[in-house]
Amino acid sequence: MQAAQGGDTEAYVLLLKEITPRVRQIVRGQRRFLKIEDIEDLVQDILLSLHAVRATYDPRRPFMPWLMAITRHRLADAARRYTRRAAHELQVENIPVTFSDEGSNIDSDGYRDPEALRQAIEDLSPAQRAAIEMLKLREMSLKEAAAARGTSIGALKVSVHRAMATLRKALIKDS
Amino acid sequence: MTMDTEKLIERLAEIVEPVRPLARPWIRTAAWLLIAIPYVALVVFVVSPRADLISKASEWRYVIEQFAALATGITAATAAFATVIPGYDRKFLFFPVLPLAIWLGSLGDGCVKDWIHFGPDGLSLQPDWFCFPAIVLVGAVPAIAIAVMLRRGAPLTPHVTSALGGLAAAGLGNFGLRLFHSQDASLMVLVWQVGAVCVLAAMAALAGRYLLNWRSIITTKDRSVLLHPS
Repeated sequence: MQAAQGGDTEAYVLLLKEITPRVRQIVRGQRRFLKIEDIEDLVQDILLSLHAVRATYDPRRPFMPWLMAITRHRLADAARRYTRRAAHELQVENIPVTFSDEGSNIDSDGYRDPEALRQAIEDLSPAQRAAIEMLKLREMSLKEAAAARGTSIGALKVSVHRAMATLRKALIKDS
Repeated sequence: MTMDTEKLIERLAEIVEPVRPLARPWIRTAAWLLIAIPYVALVVFVVSPRADLISKASEWRYVIEQFAALATGITAATAAFATVIPGYDRKFLFFPVLPLAIWLGSLGDGCVKDWIHFGPDGLSLQPDWFCFPAIVLVGAVPAIAIAVMLRRGAPLTPHVTSALGGLAAAGLGNFGLRLFHSQDASLMVLVWQVGAVCVLAAMAALAGRYLLNWRSIITTKDRSVLLHPS
């Protein structure tokens, strides 16, 4: 390692090749449940970390405790990373993406008759129709729509809610 | 990472450059003090030392408290530098405990004596909002210097390392503060000055993950060996 700190490429290759099987053995021993490629990822991570902090090695001190400390901490970091990621992930066996899966056939697929939808919107009261047009069809924000209609955001929300309920009833009845 | 490990080793060897081994923790502490002490002296000189500094220097309590604050800063810095060296003895972590105990003990003793001499009036607590920003001001350059120096090491325990670094800078900040701030009531010093030191160390501990992490230590050049396999 001392030679590697001096920039000796051959000594560095020799050192890394010598320690890699030992590091791999430790990783495999402590993470038995991991797949081979995941173990190799961890080994590479440790080698990269060792490379980044090679200046911290003191040639007057033994090498192995230095290497083991890096290995131990990088393994702990990886475990923490895994736990953090797992906490934010939802494990799904098969994502329903085909038409035969119920999960992929959401309710909106039932309302496939544009003429019926247009008619249902036409039948709404003027206030509800305007609310649907501005917020759902023209995708205006509540603030913009309220300003355009000269009404409050609360009143607009009520109009949209009632309009959606009316449309749902009308379209279910038609289908 | 999907690259072959053998190939990674070859690529790392290709980019390896000579590095100067980090000095031992106490040598690095001395180097840090060479930056920090002149700055603290400069701040004390600019703000102007307290008028009674000469007479205070002969009061054993003041001397012990100042010595303990300075020793806490120095030992915390040594401990912080030790934590960024893989495989270093963990007993270094306890280095600041003794001076910190002396510091707190002497202030605690002062509180008891104030109580005996002046009764409840001796332990009256008034707001002293000057202490916190003053410690931040005096400890700013020492804090920046120690952060830069710690980033040259391995971020093995970022929170602990940062807390120790924060304690070092704030301890030194408090040492400097008492050279120009005439506040000697033990309880006031304990609450507003030692309290500020503890708060700053805690804030440093919280910032540890952002200040010291492998992502920033492993350089873009080092990472490039994974992205561009030859």
